[in-house]
Amino acid sequence: MKWDNMQHFWLVILSFCVALGPRFLPLLFFRKRKIPNWFNHWMEFIPISLFTSLVVKDIFITKAYTFSAATHQPEIIASIFVILISYWTRSMALSVVAGLAAVFTLTFIL
Amino acid sequence: MTKLVRNPKEPNWITNFKISLPLDISYIPIGLACGILLNAAGFNTLNSFLLSLLVFSGGAQFLIASMLTTSAPLLTIVLMLFFLELRYALLGSSLSKYLTGQNFWFTLFFSASLNDENYAVNYLKFSTDKKWTPKDAIQLEHWSLFFWTISNVVGSLVGSALTIDLTVVHFALTALFLYMIVMQIKSFLKVFVAIISIFLAIFFLTLTKSTLGLVASTLVASFIGFLIDTWLRKRKMKTGHKSKLIKTFKNPAGSPEE
Repeated sequence: MKWDNMQHFWLVILSFCVALGPRFLPLLFFRKRKIPNWFNHWMEFIPISLFTSLVVKDIFITKAYTFSAATHQPEIIASIFVILISYWTRSMALSVVAGLAAVFTLTFIL
Repeated sequence: MTKLVRNPKEPNWITNFKISLPLDISYIPIGLACGILLNAAGFNTLNSFLLSLLVFSGGAQFLIASMLTTSAPLLTIVLMLFFLELRYALLGSSLSKYLTGQNFWFTLFFSASLNDENYAVNYLKFSTDKKWTPKDAIQLEHWSLFFWTISNVVGSLVGSALTIDLTVVHFALTALFLYMIVMQIKSFLKVFVAIISIFLAIFFLTLTKSTLGLVASTLVASFIGFLIDTWLRKRKMKTGHKSKLIKTFKNPAGSPEE
């Protein structure tokens, strides 16, 4: 399905709402009260779970939503490379560029 | 950037601009990349401009680009965004003690332009510089927002002038997410949560046959992480035994700014 500009616009507006809510409401309420601790601890694990799931979808899941470790082989190998580069350099730009170079070369070789 | 001392003769906005400059510059390449990717996902320049201005979150904008290229339904995209943005509840509330007494509108504009990176700078300034006021903080936010939005618009224009291979562009997103995962990993428990996320994501994605599986695996994996964390904390309180799982890693590249 191809989205048109108006649908993109509505996506922007809805994104604005869900982006503003979590930033604004706690700031408004917790200017005087304290945020519950359990919520803090839970939220700590959201980004890592979310990003890992996204990567899994990109490298292990096919368009028909089946598991496959073979369709995206260059991406899987390049991912390991990206993890190592980002661990040692901590540079976002370097990790992405190295990853792109790796996936480009690997698609060519494999 | 923290060592900048306020020069009494210099207008405030120039001082604040100088403080925000390192952050602003670091936004340029990411903003350009984001603009290019959004363009590849079908966003026109006006919508990219609005998205950068209104949402102002690298992670969220990359997520939208990624979900659009895999033609996820609107509801799934918005739900995923909501979970991603939920963590700002943490950031916002940890700044709240410095913003007491501000009115409704200030709080609204302040939170609308709040972001991971400008939060880090503001938190540092608030906790180290007694003269740092909420007004300076919001100015710093607006400088970073300005640079972010311009870079996105330029990226979008560049993207529409070039033809870019979509599969390669898509891996740029995967690489970005991988980078963010590595940045998130600060203890063995986080590594463990990442590993169970792999299995849960495969399970839920093949089960639901849709991107909603991402929402399910995110919720379940983070909740498991939270339960283990709570259990380990409780045990530590009772027995004084600190589990290796929640011990913080040493950073191999030295300590980054927190």
